[in-house]
Amino acid sequence: MKETQLLIEAIETNNLWEKEIEISRNEYLKVKGSIDTNLYFIIKGSLRIYLIGEYEERTIRFGYQNNFIVSLDSFISEKPSDFYIQAIKKTNLKVITKKRFKDLINSNPEFQNVWTKILEQLILQQLEREKDILTSSPIERYKRVFKRSPQLFQEIPNKYIADYLRMTPETLSRIKKS
Amino acid sequence: MKFKTIELIAELIEKTRININKVEKFRELSEKELNYRENSENWSVLECIEHLNLYGDFYNPEIRKNIETSHSKPSETFKSGIIGNYFVKTMLPKKKLNKMKTFKDKNPLGSSLNKSVIDRFISQQKEFLELIEKSKNINFANTKTAISISKLIKLKLGDTFRFIIAHNERHVVQAENVIRKASK
Repeated sequence: MKETQLLIEAIETNNLWEKEIEISRNEYLKVKGSIDTNLYFIIKGSLRIYLIGEYEERTIRFGYQNNFIVSLDSFISEKPSDFYIQAIKKTNLKVITKKRFKDLINSNPEFQNVWTKILEQLILQQLEREKDILTSSPIERYKRVFKRSPQLFQEIPNKYIADYLRMTPETLSRIKKS
Repeated sequence: MKFKTIELIAELIEKTRININKVEKFRELSEKELNYRENSENWSVLECIEHLNLYGDFYNPEIRKNIETSHSKPSETFKSGIIGNYFVKTMLPKKKLNKMKTFKDKNPLGSSLNKSVIDRFISQQKEFLELIEKSKNINFANTKTAISISKLIKLKLGDTFRFIIAHNERHVVQAENVIRKASK
């Protein structure tokens, strides 16, 4: 996405990264209850965001290489968030604080436009996700997600995809074969 | 010691995250390494973790019960108790870990253990985070919990949280030391 690329370049040239971190597979960037207002850029690796429901975990989003990942609720509200963010494989991230990021965005109308675009795309993605969840047929849910993000199936282990699609891993592999 | 409750909660959560991450890392080791014992009296990595699980089996339900029956209101600050502070201080890992006595029912030495011990620890920690979350609606000082090591003493909930995390830190450090020795 060229908007993301533009922001990354602006952050790089202004030396705004707070630090770089590395987390191993299964380690947590964030756990339930914490306030995390940082924005993370994924240099390498992948992560998942999930909630713990009454009985099980529910994966709600993935983060891939060359994308941002953020606990968006905390980022916006600066309040505690229920989300867990866990590395699916060894992952390297660059960190920027909300303050520095906002200062950058507010420094230039062009950056503000870019940020608005990113947020708009995010809203569209969330609407698609809402439609996923309202789709009752597992096969249809699979098709929708496959069409939208083929990357998911290349980078993420089946058990997490199945969880994201709200089906058992067995159902997912049956659908994939057919 | 006086804490701002909101800051204490943030610290409890962050320390728990670090403990979880350290234990997640143990998964990369073989079961042979995880069961390595320097001598017949010292614990293996899995025994360190199982010891924490035995504590969790006691504390998680005890804390839950006390949170659910409490009608207290949260307060902006929390003042730790003398006994609570003492327990936390003695538990915290020092540069060189001192030996401490373990109660027999919390001693996993010699039990046969596998990686499921790690799963159990992680799920107990997630439950622990859940309990911290629930505790935001009640008072950290007025709510008291029993402790596993004495029937006579009760701790303030805030101190119980601090104590459990210090105890987790201690034995995670101990487990890390075992790994260092095993790889020599």
